[in-house]
Amino acid sequence: MKFSLGRYVPYDSLIHRIDPRAKLLAILFLMICIFFPYQSWAMTFAVDGAIFLLLVVLLYMTRTKIVDILRSLKSLWFMIIFLLLIYCLIPTTEPTFPLAFEVAAWNWRVYWDSFLQAAKILLRLMMMIELTMVLTSSTKPLDLTFALEWYMTPLKVIHFPAHEIAMIISIAIRFIPTLLEDTSRIMKSQESRGVSFSHGRISKRVVSLTSLIIPLFVSAFMRSDELANAMECRGYDPRGNRTRYRLLKAKWYDWVFLLFCAAVFGVLLWFSIDPRFNALLLFPAEVH
Amino acid sequence: MKIISVNNLSFSYDGEHPAIKDVSFDVEEGSYVAIIGHNGSGKSTLAKILMGLLNGYEGEVKLFDTVLSNQSITALRKRIGIVFQNPDNQFVGSTVADDIAFGLENHEVPHEEMEGIIHQYASEVGMIDFLDHEPESLSGGQKQRVAIAGVLAMKPDLVIFDEATAMLDPKGKREIADIILKMKQENPKLTILSITHDVEEANRADEVLVLNDGQLFLSGKPSEVFAHGKELREIQLDSPFLAMLIEALKKQGIDVPQGINDVEKLEEYLCR
Repeated sequence: MKFSLGRYVPYDSLIHRIDPRAKLLAILFLMICIFFPYQSWAMTFAVDGAIFLLLVVLLYMTRTKIVDILRSLKSLWFMIIFLLLIYCLIPTTEPTFPLAFEVAAWNWRVYWDSFLQAAKILLRLMMMIELTMVLTSSTKPLDLTFALEWYMTPLKVIHFPAHEIAMIISIAIRFIPTLLEDTSRIMKSQESRGVSFSHGRISKRVVSLTSLIIPLFVSAFMRSDELANAMECRGYDPRGNRTRYRLLKAKWYDWVFLLFCAAVFGVLLWFSIDPRFNALLLFPAEVH
Repeated sequence: MKIISVNNLSFSYDGEHPAIKDVSFDVEEGSYVAIIGHNGSGKSTLAKILMGLLNGYEGEVKLFDTVLSNQSITALRKRIGIVFQNPDNQFVGSTVADDIAFGLENHEVPHEEMEGIIHQYASEVGMIDFLDHEPESLSGGQKQRVAIAGVLAMKPDLVIFDEATAMLDPKGKREIADIILKMKQENPKLTILSITHDVEEANRADEVLVLNDGQLFLSGKPSEVFAHGKELREIQLDSPFLAMLIEALKKQGIDVPQGINDVEKLEEYLCR
């Protein structure tokens, strides 16, 4: 079984070395500023283009493979059709660009604006996916869990179980390969008894899936029971005090990266809100 | 000092069929005791009771002269280390180092001391080169060695092996057996209780307890217990190779004196 989307890629890049807490927050900043609205098309193109360039640099730094990028975008084809359909059906009131086609009988006019609108949303979704990829391919799942736990720690005041949630996530991550191994073992043994998972009618295949799911659940519950015993015997008490083996220490470049992303966020927020900047760039057709 | 003291212990899962019937035994400090028995003999149940995972038994269980109860178990667990059967289901951390650290974190060992302790015990079980490895890239025997390192790192007075080698290949079994012997040499005060159905492993212990149908069937030094080859075979247990060899020699009229407990000594005796 293979995961390509969001899998950690071991490599010693600058992005890999950034503290997971700083990275999580910085990427979050960038994600939000992808979706800022601007009043003019020229401004949108300029800003989205700049973010796109930044993203290319980040992807290059994390050494993400082109194949993996393309694979992660594979599931977007449905979005393309959906967006085109929606934007073609919504009438454009103040078109900037010329008419693309019209069906006069239905009084249906589609301007190039609709296509651009669809393309804009699509590009922004793609950038969103790739930003997630920058985060997950350069950060071990466990480090991400630590970062989440760190951000949730203040919530302990209102009895929010931050540590328990982090422990649950990290154990779930730890057991993914074990359970995948179980799955393939059970599939092989059921196939050797004549169950078919890949042939026959859909209804039949669904029925044969139960012969995979039930043993898998039983095995998972047995494992969790034994794991709970083992953890208890090693002195684990979720409510007790614990010391930490892995401590996160912020270094100077963590701050540089975080401040840089925060600055990008701040500047773009300003561009988006302040009307003077919002219409800084205009196409000739946009001057009203 | 008695590390484990079990008096008239009885236990039943369903209230009708007893899993343990009136078992009594003591384990002295620094001894290596093996409990053997075939499947369903009650040895796993006994192990669970000793670890404080089962309640509702009759009789008395004392660990370190303290009666085992829900109140005392937390304090007692700090002195007991347990290695379980399934290597995967006791690997909590996401890497070898994290897993060894798990027990240390629970016992609030300061962060500054952890690195040194982890290195010390990882090298003791020969896993020092694997500190960054994730469990799926390790063999069963390697995972069990990590589990032992995690247990030893907490400096326990008693280590219980609950069929720790049952799921390993012969090479893994041998590695674990070597580590157990090394542990004994380095710390003579360490008490080891091994629950197993591997008679070769039991043969290396100081004392062997044989369970059958929840009752104590035989107990004593390995050479004494395995001299009862016929009775052991009746309850579906084999004898170790050495005991079978001595029995066969006796049948041929060659008498072997008591106290010969390994193949080298036997060889020496026969060559004389």
